[in-house]
Amino acid sequence: MERNNYWSPYIAGAGLGLTLLAAFYVMGKGLGASSAFSVTAAVAAKGIAPEYAGTLKYFSRYLSLESPLRDWIVFEMIGLFAGALAGALAGGNFRIRFDKGKSIGNTARLFTAFGGGMAIGFASRLARGCTSGVALSGGAQLAIAGWIFVISMFASGFVLAAFFRRLWQ
Amino acid sequence: MRSPLYEYGLFGEGISLLVAVAIGFFFGFFLERGGLGNPHKLTGVFYLTDFTVPKVMFTAIVVAALGLYLLSDLKLLDMSRVWIVPTFFWPQIVGGLLFGAGFVLSGYCPGTAMTGFAEGRLDALIAMAGIGAGSFLFALLYPFVENFYLFSPMGDVTLPVLLGINHWIVLALVSALAGTMFFVMERYERAH
Repeated sequence: MERNNYWSPYIAGAGLGLTLLAAFYVMGKGLGASSAFSVTAAVAAKGIAPEYAGTLKYFSRYLSLESPLRDWIVFEMIGLFAGALAGALAGGNFRIRFDKGKSIGNTARLFTAFGGGMAIGFASRLARGCTSGVALSGGAQLAIAGWIFVISMFASGFVLAAFFRRLWQ
Repeated sequence: MRSPLYEYGLFGEGISLLVAVAIGFFFGFFLERGGLGNPHKLTGVFYLTDFTVPKVMFTAIVVAALGLYLLSDLKLLDMSRVWIVPTFFWPQIVGGLLFGAGFVLSGYCPGTAMTGFAEGRLDALIAMAGIGAGSFLFALLYPFVENFYLFSPMGDVTLPVLLGINHWIVLALVSALAGTMFFVMERYERAH
């Protein structure tokens, strides 16, 4: 397993909470993550097949903008990468690797990583966001959205994990 | 009451993108320091072996929630200018269910996949490609899911508004719930 040189989850959580509070105070909105992937997918689709991408109604919310990548969450995600890299380097956690559960192979891991990612990408669009934009930001606002999302996410995670113990254990 | 600062025009859109990078930096830094770039820790909660995710997540929610409502009550923050996450009841229930499955399968969520990648995890990069592909799939199937996507809208409703009670009662309940959960998790971890 990993060397455990992480901070206490309560300290890291408090820092994360203050970061979210700063976003509310300074910007008037919470944190986010998944929409950066959606914008990027829309821009990539436009790059590969511009006419086809133009017919996708859902992507028009991004592609109708003059520069879709000039987006608050896209820039926030660039900062997130830099901050996580700084944390990893400071804590000695940076190491190039292909991480997976002990009892699954590399090919299986490719499928679980990509397939799981696909489910997350689809689900985040349906739910108007992910663990950052809906669960964390909505949860802190006491928005109904945040709490129903958190509860259903944990419920399904527990059920799936019970059936697929070998994924990670 | 001059905040949210951006909403009150303290700075423009260009500066807001620099603010995005700065806020994102702390977001990523605390995620990484909390261990949330590590898929073994991220999925641990679902196997009852590592409770880092709920500990970090609910600490953050409680801290930000108390701060948000305190600033609002002290008239330091104009809550009416804060964008509240809109509720679409059934899409967010179904979205949450599908999201949980993707979380266990991939070992990440969008923000933590970027964190894992920043720690050098190439599987996190694959997961990110999957998230992009899943977003594209949603756009592709949007004509078929649009009705459901827009189903059961509740607007920017919050627990105190829905329940018709003072927000400090809800905040006290949420804090007590989180505290109890942390206590049980610590006890459980010590016993196993």
